[in-house]
Amino acid sequence: MIGDYKGFVKNKVVVALLQAYHDILDYDGMKSILKEAGMMHIKDLRDKNPNDTLDFFSFKKIISAQNCLLFDSSDLLFEIGKKFSFYLFPFGKNFEEIINEINSSIITDWRVSISENNENEITIYVQRCIFCSEIGVPCDLFKGFLVNSLQKSLPSEKKVFYERGIEDLKDPQHNSFIFKLKIDKSIK
Amino acid sequence: MKDTNKREWALKLAILGDPAVGKTSLINKYITDSFRENYQPTLGVNIVSKDMRIEEINSKIRLLLWDIAGQDKYELTRQNFFQGCVGALLVYDMTRYSTFEQITLKWLEDFKKFSRPDGIHILIGNKSDLKDSIKVPYEEGKQLSQKIKAAEFIETSAKNGENVEETFNNLVLHILRKNGIKLKKD
Repeated sequence: MIGDYKGFVKNKVVVALLQAYHDILDYDGMKSILKEAGMMHIKDLRDKNPNDTLDFFSFKKIISAQNCLLFDSSDLLFEIGKKFSFYLFPFGKNFEEIINEINSSIITDWRVSISENNENEITIYVQRCIFCSEIGVPCDLFKGFLVNSLQKSLPSEKKVFYERGIEDLKDPQHNSFIFKLKIDKSIK
Repeated sequence: MKDTNKREWALKLAILGDPAVGKTSLINKYITDSFRENYQPTLGVNIVSKDMRIEEINSKIRLLLWDIAGQDKYELTRQNFFQGCVGALLVYDMTRYSTFEQITLKWLEDFKKFSRPDGIHILIGNKSDLKDSIKVPYEEGKQLSQKIKAAEFIETSAKNGENVEETFNNLVLHILRKNGIKLKKD
């Protein structure tokens, strides 16, 4: 890991991510990622105060391990992202509040903002996404997080549509991107 | 599979087979040269990475070994683990005939259905050290490997290490060949 990793992350973010790994990959899958990251000591972090923090460098080690082990597993990463949203905001929240809270829960050199918001479409601008900063790594996890976070904030008859699109993963700036989510009535 | 300047590769490989055929033990032997007598089932998936170099093609290869739980409870979620797999070891226990039958009934089908269409597989008969209890003779394993078009058939022992390193190395070499890489032995 080369870079300057300053900042901190609230425990509740880490716990939600570990819980998402556990749901999708089960116990050994979660353990594999923590082992690869050299972070096995935090596997029981859920017992700690959710508003305490972990240093960002440690958090980034987990994300890097995840991106290494889940190489070419974009569907799984997307599902983990959805679960991550579920565990971080279990009771649902207004989408704007979720965006504000994710920014204030992961304090480092990144930013998520809503650049356009109307009844049928929301445009999100992610600057220096921390979940996919490595070259060659697509941003499926955070996109899964955003899709599910928006879906949960809508009435049940509305559905979120999105296009994954093609990312130039060799571009070092690929982790700054615009993500459009369309909202429509669900077809039953 | 990633191919950057033909020097670095990442290969996602699945280790498949019924519960307790020795999938985790094969990986442990290969990665850490260790063997555990007590059986502990894998919960979900156990993923480990190992870097290897192949000097003759000046390549660094990162193996991502997906040790996928064989239990029925993972039937529905298991298919998600196969995305991007370029190779698999289909493992049976030489002392339990039912695990041999499951190769064609279940594991090969899953691998073909959910992993990459050009994926390579090797058939593995494990526990060759248990000589007095063997129920699947070599010839039957060999026949099945031909029938299912496995790239190779190997009998291994995760306990004493017989053919373990060769198994993983050969799988990598088969994958490289399939992707047009010329190796000295060709």
